Amino acid sequence: MIALHDYELSAECYKVRLMLGLLGLKWRVVPVDYYPGAEHKTPAFRTLSPLGRIPVLEDDGFTLHEPHAILIYLAGRYDTSDHWSPREPRLAAEVAQWLSFAVDLDASAGAARRADGFFEAVDADAARAEAHRLFRILDEHLWFGERQGRGWLCPAERPTIAEIACFPAVALSEEGGVSRQDYPAIRRWMDRVKRVPGFSVMSGVFPAAPGR
Amino acid sequence: MSLTNDIWSPIAASGDLPFRHVFHGQLLGQEFAAWRADDGHVNVWENRCLHRGVRLSIGLNDGRELVCQYHGWRYANRTAGCTYIPAHPADAPARTITNRTYPVVERYGLIWTTLGEERGPPARPELDSGDLLTLREMAANAPAAMAVAALRRHGDDGGQEGDGLSVTLTTPEGTRAAFFVQPVDSGRCVIRGVLAGDRSPDSIATLRLHNERLKALRDVIEAEALAAPAPEPLAPVYAPVSAELAEMPGLLKAGRRASLSVAVSRKWAAGADVAGFELAAVSGGLPTFQPGGHIDVHLPNGLIRPYSLVNAPGETGSYVIGVKRDPASRGGSQTLHETVREGDLLAISEPRNNFPLRRDANLTIFIAGGVGVTPLIAMAQALDHSGSAIAFHCFARDEAHIAFADRLGALKSRFTPHLGLDPVETEARLRTLLGQRPVGAHVYLCGPTPMLETARRVAAEAGWPEAAVHFEYFKNERAVDAGSSFEIALARSALTLTVPAGRTILEVLRDNGVDLPSSCEQGACGTCEATVLEGEPDHQDVYLSDAEKREGRRIMTCVSRARSARITLDV
Repeated sequence: MIALHDYELSAECYKVRLMLGLLGLKWRVVPVDYYPGAEHKTPAFRTLSPLGRIPVLEDDGFTLHEPHAILIYLAGRYDTSDHWSPREPRLAAEVAQWLSFAVDLDASAGAARRADGFFEAVDADAARAEAHRLFRILDEHLWFGERQGRGWLCPAERPTIAEIACFPAVALSEEGGVSRQDYPAIRRWMDRVKRVPGFSVMSGVFPAAPGR
Repeated sequence: MSLTNDIWSPIAASGDLPFRHVFHGQLLGQEFAAWRADDGHVNVWENRCLHRGVRLSIGLNDGRELVCQYHGWRYANRTAGCTYIPAHPADAPARTITNRTYPVVERYGLIWTTLGEERGPPARPELDSGDLLTLREMAANAPAAMAVAALRRHGDDGGQEGDGLSVTLTTPEGTRAAFFVQPVDSGRCVIRGVLAGDRSPDSIATLRLHNERLKALRDVIEAEALAAPAPEPLAPVYAPVSAELAEMPGLLKAGRRASLSVAVSRKWAAGADVAGFELAAVSGGLPTFQPGGHIDVHLPNGLIRPYSLVNAPGETGSYVIGVKRDPASRGGSQTLHETVREGDLLAISEPRNNFPLRRDANLTIFIAGGVGVTPLIAMAQALDHSGSAIAFHCFARDEAHIAFADRLGALKSRFTPHLGLDPVETEARLRTLLGQRPVGAHVYLCGPTPMLETARRVAAEAGWPEAAVHFEYFKNERAVDAGSSFEIALARSALTLTVPAGRTILEVLRDNGVDLPSSCEQGACGTCEATVLEGEPDHQDVYLSDAEKREGRRIMTCVSRARSARITLDV
């Protein structure tokens, strides 16, 4: 059975929980005392995750320790419809582009939340300013997408792992003092993501009303 | 430019309110939850739940009501009145729980509102041609005045009239454009642009071009704002509940009051012998109703009759009632059937709810006889819309006698008619329906007295607890014995009065200037209820359940009396 080294309030772990749920998979949780125990920094945990980060996924003796790598692996191995991680070269490259964007979201909106919530030593104001810069880019991309009939980050009929990679830091941003009031297209995209069958919530992320 | 509460400003684009979404807006420091109901009505409300102040913009738009994420309080489309509190499933929320609403006008592809007077947004004749292209809004961390000044540097031929928050110009491409600057707060604004008569073949390219221009303009004004001292943020105003809602109704001897004036906007045959009436407000809106609620209709001939509302949740533009023609009519149903026409004005009471609907049952069974469908249809529509399990059984003479068949038909497989059954067959059918209580099921009954008595007896014999059997009688057909004479002590009013034989508690109260609301005045509707503090009531109503009667804590003052020489009421 798939095992997830998981911390309930981690936005990065939430990405993997989302993916597992969307793929209809079952998994076992191995709790990690991220805060205040900092278990992820212990030598024992570093044998699983050399950088000392969560989440870590174990499946059939295969161990992976970066959330986006885990998304690529799970979609590649378990998504029979191939839409979460498409193979078509341009689309696959666009997905990769948004995975990089998601790293920046985690380092800005995500960092501000970790500073406010777990007292991580980062410049929270700088992180918030960067988050707003990224949210402006994201909102514009999504606004024009809606006018061109594209509801998702990439030009595909169905959502991709780009959605899952970007969603947690955006959906939890207000816990780090980053309001989404100025980003109506982001708020509508969040509704669409929440309506994908198999979507799951976490503390601080609320469900949307059912759509059409 | 003066930023007063009287300005009208766009707060969203029409496209910002898609199906079942809640938009988060702000004007002059005041936050809004804005949402479009499935009937197209745009709601702009103060952005906080009246319960714990949580933002309603994170709530759920179910198409008819907005549901708070925190504890599930439901607020109705249009009225913003609370219709259900999950923590108090058996109670009807007080009418004072009504959120603050703001006036809304949808015009030029934008949603407009104001914190001030309801006079409407300024007219822009140049935009009346249709053929409009709404640009992507541009939010900026800069005061509105800086945005207006920056826009004017690109030209303004619209004159300086109005509130100074809009700029009209001709674009370098020769298209007429209007820009409206929404003052979000003292130091934040949103620029909303509309192009008139844009005929360029590629609207995306046009939108991108203007988006780039507005971004450049935003960079300029944000740099300007950063160099200037930051203004104090505007303080949002949380207005107290309106006086009309907050005030306790005054003490009057008038008895039953008709506080609303409505016009019959539609009258039709809703079923054999049943006339449907749609009642629209003469001015303003109608108060919030809840499923199971009723209104008193004050007829031109002086009679007052209660009728259940048939409305579905969020159907808040008018009230819908069904009136059965009663052959033994004393002038109530007969007048409504024969005299009242479309366009006529009627005086009605505010809706009251003495038949509240729980929404936490695993299964809710509705059993209606004849025109008893009316309150149960309102309830079934509410539960069906939110996906709760229901079963609706309607007993009628024949298919033509099923009133509001269109609404019942919409329940699809959840609706079962039972036609042409005699009393014996009816009882047998009720035994099938109620023979075994599914876990967590509740049943709601409404219909003629013999059928209700049978259904309640069948349910009791099958082991249904009284708390799971809810009922409403059309009328009290039990013989009322008004022969006793007793004293009533009024704990709050500090009065002791004598009720002689032949008079009711309610009449004696009113004679002495103590008013209670009432409706049917025959012990069926529950409106005139009072709490008993001491003494033994002599129950003669059909509203309370047997358990409630045994408990002796509540009394219907219109028919019930006292067995003890003295009874103390919390009045």
